[in-house]
Amino acid sequence: MTNTMSLRTMAKMKSVSPSARTWRRFFKGPIGWVSVATVVGIVLLGVFGPLFVTYPGSYGSAPPLAPPSVEYWFGTDSLGRSVFDQVVWGTRTSLIVVLAAGTVATLLGAVIGIASAYSRHIDAFFAVIIDVMLALPVLPLMIVVTALLGSSLTTMVLVLGFFSWPEIARIIRSNALTIVHQPYVEGARAIGASPVRIMWKEVLPMVSPLLIVNALLTGSRAVIGEAGLSFLGLGDPNTWSWGKILYEAQRDAVMVVAWWQTLFPSLLILLLVLSATTIGVRYNDSRMQKFTGV
Amino acid sequence: MIRIVLIRIGRALLAVWIAITAAFLILRLLPGGPVALMLDGVHDPQIEAQLIAQYGLDQPLITQYFLFLWQTAQGNLGTSFYSLTPVADILLTRLPWTLLLAGSALTVTLLIGIPLGVYGSVKKDGWADQFLRFFGMAGQALFVPAVAVVLLIIFALNLGWAPIGGAIDSQAVSAGDQFLSVLRHLALPLISLAFVQLGPYALTVRTNMLQILGSDFIRSAKSRGIPVRTIIWKHGVRNAIIPAVTLAGIQLGALVSGAVLTETVFAYPGVGRLIYESVLRQDYPVLQGAFILLAVTVVLANLTTDFVVVAIDPKLRTGSRS
Repeated sequence: MTNTMSLRTMAKMKSVSPSARTWRRFFKGPIGWVSVATVVGIVLLGVFGPLFVTYPGSYGSAPPLAPPSVEYWFGTDSLGRSVFDQVVWGTRTSLIVVLAAGTVATLLGAVIGIASAYSRHIDAFFAVIIDVMLALPVLPLMIVVTALLGSSLTTMVLVLGFFSWPEIARIIRSNALTIVHQPYVEGARAIGASPVRIMWKEVLPMVSPLLIVNALLTGSRAVIGEAGLSFLGLGDPNTWSWGKILYEAQRDAVMVVAWWQTLFPSLLILLLVLSATTIGVRYNDSRMQKFTGV
Repeated sequence: MIRIVLIRIGRALLAVWIAITAAFLILRLLPGGPVALMLDGVHDPQIEAQLIAQYGLDQPLITQYFLFLWQTAQGNLGTSFYSLTPVADILLTRLPWTLLLAGSALTVTLLIGIPLGVYGSVKKDGWADQFLRFFGMAGQALFVPAVAVVLLIIFALNLGWAPIGGAIDSQAVSAGDQFLSVLRHLALPLISLAFVQLGPYALTVRTNMLQILGSDFIRSAKSRGIPVRTIIWKHGVRNAIIPAVTLAGIQLGALVSGAVLTETVFAYPGVGRLIYESVLRQDYPVLQGAFILLAVTVVLANLTTDFVVVAIDPKLRTGSRS
């Protein structure tokens, strides 16, 4: 009796696909749920929030520098504009920038990483570039480029994307290196598959879980990067973003007085980065047997 | 060992060269061209002629490039649009403050981060370890200016223990007063910068240490009956120190980026605050010079950590004899 039971449970366990097992492990305990819910909540705020909130213009009608109240949830800035409205519209901009920049960085990183693993000539060239780009202080470089190109959303996306790919490329390269020497890749080459086909059909699917994790981590870094550049006055002057709210607080020298103007955008940055990083790390841990407990 | 040192020096030179070349290309290849950008805002025909002659803007691009390399190698980084003084002079008055801030933040990160990471790995899954893991994740998510503002509100505004900004009191006359004043002004920027760096750093030390503690030679040391304390300190930590130093070198870039934001909030008169001011003034030569200077500084510091690793890693030491 017990024997048949255990056999049945074993058969049941076998039928569970690896990805289902990963997700089951991922959502075990509250951390997985909370971090996914946080990201979903912020995305919903960015997508639908602006429909219900008027765009904060160049001046407001509210009393200036009012602390958070029932009427103005996040308080007001020195020009009498609602910080809540700014945060809602800023969420949309920050999300757009981060998604686009993360996509640019992930695409570049994946293509360069896989190609480097596949071809020694490409590797020799990009190894040096990746080394140097990881060694140089990135923020000052991004500042110079953005200042010269002129601040706009496009500049921000391109600059953040173009300076974030080396990390992904390095990780994907070392992961893909273990795959390009697998027998099945040799087999594909033997039957005459082109390098592009091998990289696309054989190597990419194998590195894609790691790619997803690192896309999330890079996106998180892009949130901080966007905030940093906007904070220094290099954001698009015509749209609100989390960094821009902080920039205005700094420019008007009210960062310390009007704490609400600093607190709420910083809190959203913290929540988004923390939960996106947690999802990435936890997904990676759930995929492997080893569980480090994040 | 000499071979390793030479390779590291070669790599550092290459990085500096690429940084300078990037700085050159950024300014030349952008739309509008260098002449328009460089002369934008300059209305004095004399300065205009001087600028054109200095940068060789009427020469072909390749000539301009070698001229730029030559000038940069001599320490000539051009003239500020705003103050009309040499960029190199401005940078040199600012650099000591950034070195002081970043250097002390790095020291604090190492001094606290290594013991913290070791402790977390030894007491794995204890409450301190769980806190460390959360702190390490949260550290990456913290935006430096936000941390700075929290510190300012608590310690400068409410408690009045620290000044709200700047680097030194102008009223401090005697050397002792000046020293104390510098320390008081340094405290909050230092804490905010080190706070953000510390978590991820300690977390990586912890991971390295766990890997070492799980390896075969530790198990055999345990089976020989060597006391746990000796194993942790003599066998574990000594091996964990080497990747910890390498990691400090890797984090230097992030440290400098953090310093730019920290200095901006605290009006700390370093290169980072200068960058913020120059963005507002559209002072491109200063921005370009600041990037080159910071790049060279980071590369040199990286080279130093490389040398430290070569000096303390016995594996690299024996390599020279064979």
